[in-house]
Amino acid sequence: MVLTIIGHPISTCTRRVKTVLIEKGVDYKLQTIDWANGEHKSEAHLQKQPFGQVPVLIDEDGFTLFESRAITRYIAAKYANQGTKLLPDPSDLKAVALLEQAASIEQADFDPYASGIAYEKVFYPRRGIPTDEKRLQQHIDTLNAKLDGYERILSKQKYLAGDELTVVDLWHLPYAEMSEKFAPQVWESHPKVNAWYKALKERPSWIKANEG
Amino acid sequence: MIRIRWVLELTRLILEIIGADMSTCTRRVKVVLYEKGVDFVIKPIDWATGEHKSEAHLSKQPFGQIPVLEDDGFILFESRAIGRYIAAKYADQGTKLLPNPEDLRAVALLEQAACIEQSDFEPNVGGIAMEKVFNPFKGIATDEARFKKHVETFGTKLDGYERILSKQKYLAGDELTVVDLWHLPHGEIAEKYAPEVFEAHPKFNAWWQSLKNRSSWIKANEKGNLL
Repeated sequence: MVLTIIGHPISTCTRRVKTVLIEKGVDYKLQTIDWANGEHKSEAHLQKQPFGQVPVLIDEDGFTLFESRAITRYIAAKYANQGTKLLPDPSDLKAVALLEQAASIEQADFDPYASGIAYEKVFYPRRGIPTDEKRLQQHIDTLNAKLDGYERILSKQKYLAGDELTVVDLWHLPYAEMSEKFAPQVWESHPKVNAWYKALKERPSWIKANEG
Repeated sequence: MIRIRWVLELTRLILEIIGADMSTCTRRVKVVLYEKGVDFVIKPIDWATGEHKSEAHLSKQPFGQIPVLEDDGFILFESRAIGRYIAAKYADQGTKLLPNPEDLRAVALLEQAACIEQSDFEPNVGGIAMEKVFNPFKGIATDEARFKKHVETFGTKLDGYERILSKQKYLAGDELTVVDLWHLPHGEIAEKYAPEVFEAHPKFNAWWQSLKNRSSWIKANEKGNLL
């Protein structure tokens, strides 16, 4: 049985996982979930993912894992010896600590605002909920302020956890791309951040992950 | 004892946490330090004079926040990253709070739990805390509609927690980890303002009450907890 990802080709979180699988050169099968028929809320799915979300990893030996960032960490660790290096050596306590600092920055200082922009401009309208312009502006303003912090960091080092690429840099891509579309000025006004982001966007793994 | 401690501080052999005793994120670090039996000192930040926005602070914490760990010259921020570092550095003392790094599956399940806490729990309890505590503190009135929305989403997410905690003792498996402890600071505020959501999820509530009663958390709250 080949490694399976239950997800959707265009889903942001599925593409986060696809990017890492491609960086590591790991073969996988994408099993597309049937949103239209509410498969994500079925008992069968809830037993694998109790929050009714995708993606879910089912490894070759049946090990089941959810949360895209956890899945990417698992793949990067399991396949540490092939493809792009995406995690520090686990015995290097300081390098691991700086990875965890970067991981927490992405989840607390970037994702809520970048994904918030995506929700107001794309996901809510798709569900018939109109854009809340005030909330959209709050997300843009907060993201802009947070990128000041990113600019300081990326003026001193190449990537968010240090001078080497890690999974954490790649996690930013799906919502960075969506927020860039609706608030390009936020990115352009932070030159070091913008350069870091543009380099990530050009990685073949991201381009391939977006091929659908 | 005081003279020895002074010497240890001077020679930077005691961990320093730049933070505030009552702050939620500082207490998220304190609870781990107490579980591991690690000595530390809190270096307060002067909010009133905007010290958190000073160049000196921003060069340690570029987002102008607390807490920040200073360990013999090594600087680390983000309360969850600090907790993980302490749990790993002091793996051989106090309560076991992380799986063996070579156990890929156990590590993966810890990371799954860590993601659940940061994306399914924190935004909702953080939102409740913002509407009922932090905004009023800043003179901003509670937005009751937003508060209600946070409570509603929180209830839905706790359905997921209930499923998990019906099958295992803690969020990452049958052993306590740092991730369980992370829920405490904002969870406590959410419990004050939306107790019915906790009560409606019995397995979750039992897990929650046992965490709250840990002596490390009681100690972390000794200097105040914003409730």
